[in-house]
Amino acid sequence: MNNGHTNVLLIEDNPGDADLVRLRLMESDAGVNVSCVNRLADGLASMAKHPPSVVLLDLNLPDSRGSDTFRKVLEQSPGVPIVILSGQDDEKLAMKALHQGVQDYLVKGDITSSHLDRVMRYAIERQALIRSLEMSRQQQLEFKNQFLSHVSHELRTPLTAIHQFVTILLDGLAGEINPEQRYHLGTVLNSVHQLRAMIRDLLEATRAESGKIHIEPRCVTIVDLIQQAVSMMSPTAKEKRVGLEVGLDARIPFVYADADRVLQVLINLIDNGLKFTPAEGSVLVKACLVDADSNMVYVSVSDTGCGISSEARNLIFERLYQDPNSVDNNRSGLGLGLFIAKELVELHGGRIWVASEVGNGTTFSFTLPLYSLAKLLFPVVTDQGRLRDAVALVKLELSPLPGIAQGNWKEVCHHSLDRLRRCVYLDKDLVLPVSGRVGQSENLFVAASTGLEGAEIMMKRIREQFEGAEGFRSAGCVKVSATAVAMPVRDEAKALEALVQTIADQITGMAMAVLAGKPSSQGADGEINAAQNLQRQITTSDIKSN
Amino acid sequence: MDKPKILIVDDDPDLRRALKIRLRANHYDTVQASDGYSAIAVAQKEQPNLIILDLGLPAGDGYVVLKRLRDSDGLSDIPVIVLTARDPHSNEEKTLQAGATAFFQKPADNNELLDVIRTALPNAWPGTALPS
Repeated sequence: MNNGHTNVLLIEDNPGDADLVRLRLMESDAGVNVSCVNRLADGLASMAKHPPSVVLLDLNLPDSRGSDTFRKVLEQSPGVPIVILSGQDDEKLAMKALHQGVQDYLVKGDITSSHLDRVMRYAIERQALIRSLEMSRQQQLEFKNQFLSHVSHELRTPLTAIHQFVTILLDGLAGEINPEQRYHLGTVLNSVHQLRAMIRDLLEATRAESGKIHIEPRCVTIVDLIQQAVSMMSPTAKEKRVGLEVGLDARIPFVYADADRVLQVLINLIDNGLKFTPAEGSVLVKACLVDADSNMVYVSVSDTGCGISSEARNLIFERLYQDPNSVDNNRSGLGLGLFIAKELVELHGGRIWVASEVGNGTTFSFTLPLYSLAKLLFPVVTDQGRLRDAVALVKLELSPLPGIAQGNWKEVCHHSLDRLRRCVYLDKDLVLPVSGRVGQSENLFVAASTGLEGAEIMMKRIREQFEGAEGFRSAGCVKVSATAVAMPVRDEAKALEALVQTIADQITGMAMAVLAGKPSSQGADGEINAAQNLQRQITTSDIKSN
Repeated sequence: MDKPKILIVDDDPDLRRALKIRLRANHYDTVQASDGYSAIAVAQKEQPNLIILDLGLPAGDGYVVLKRLRDSDGLSDIPVIVLTARDPHSNEEKTLQAGATAFFQKPADNNELLDVIRTALPNAWPGTALPS
């Protein structure tokens, strides 16, 4: 409403109807400015330039008809109140329009000036209310996030003091303690760990809700992750006298996933299984391939616990949900673990579900995508559905300076991947999600979407990035080299996927050759192992998916 | 050879006291500072071999301290381990980029922290501090 006037945009192609509406508007109020257009396209253009206070919209226009008309207006300007002026009294269409966000639906023949005036004013008011509701919802959400973040920070400080001094007592740093004291302090320490997990979940759930969790998928061995999770949870299992077993398919390929996040999901599910399984029961973690779904690995965690009712099964992945019939009422947590697990699995492109029968145990299952180099290489090798002219394989060899502690060097290598990612175009170059270690030095590879000339520029960037960084320069040195990847002769009849697969195989072979063919300074065994390991990692799942 | 000296920078006296007990038990000497300003002064005077640094500090937060350490002659090579209650998602990468050696969220696992201290210490003390 500029200058206190109501600016009305009338979109109406019938001159007679347009005049009539204009007349009604003039009769009712002096503070109304009307501009009129007779095509939807002109109306949309005018709204984009000068947003009106309200739109009076005829549905059947030369360039749009029926519900399409209001849908397009809503799409472009969701915040502007719309009143439909229709020739027909169509209750069904009117309801549809209202459900989608239109403010009112009037039949042209029935309009009086006072009626139209009131409808317009109310429409504007209602729209303003919706806007302020949405704004306050956003503010509330922001406030909630800030509040939780603040609370978790403030809770951690006293929790840290409790943790520190309990461990000081337990470790005998303040004098000997007797077995009973040790037992009680152990209980305190367990509670500290639970509290810490709850604070972490609280923040994780908030972050999941506002879309702030990012995953960094790499080529990972799900078998290792399962074993890691099981060994982390086995003390808890022992304490509860619940068996914790692993069942693995003989040949599980690599998955493309964020190892930390998958570990988090596994621990969550195992912890859940242990929590709801009585003593002498068992929890079984399995991973297998399913013929019907050849792009995924299936992971499941089954327990012999109390089972979940069908009502609870429907709600179990909801935030804050807790089964009221669960056995372990006194230590039930916040009800966030499964919600977080679901969010994390879905971020990987997998799904998670539960099968259970009351009294007969529960099985949680989730899927993770198989790692396929060909799939990852697609944007490197192709551009808008065609093969690129050239592709290069860039190799980085990072070696530690003499006298650098192993732990420090590990840390440096850990940050090198991130450093390398800053030197490439992440949308069209690929840092191979594996590395080959030869003795102390670490080999990284980039599949670059460019020929050797472009690769030169990338190599220069890499040298500057590594050698210019104090943290790296003081610990190690970097050697960079590039090899051109021969592109297959163009054969448009051949499927693009097959070509990409050929190139993926070639890159694998080249990376292996680069590793194995290096002058043998650090022991041939190490190099052969590194090459074999690399080959295993790069190819396993590709062979599988063929 | 003297024991490695660790500077503990935290505004919470309880935490400083607890860390002191833990580190001394592991054969480290400790000195302390409770704010960002005195952290630099103590570092200059005491020349510690390693610094454990909180982020939320009065008189110059942990980031300011990191920057000042990196910019000071004689202090720029001291490894810094950040130990904070703040969220790792928004702070871990930032602190490492600012020159920290490692990031821990409170409450941290004692053994992990001691491991990192051992590997971060300059080579003059290879494996000196054995767990008590």
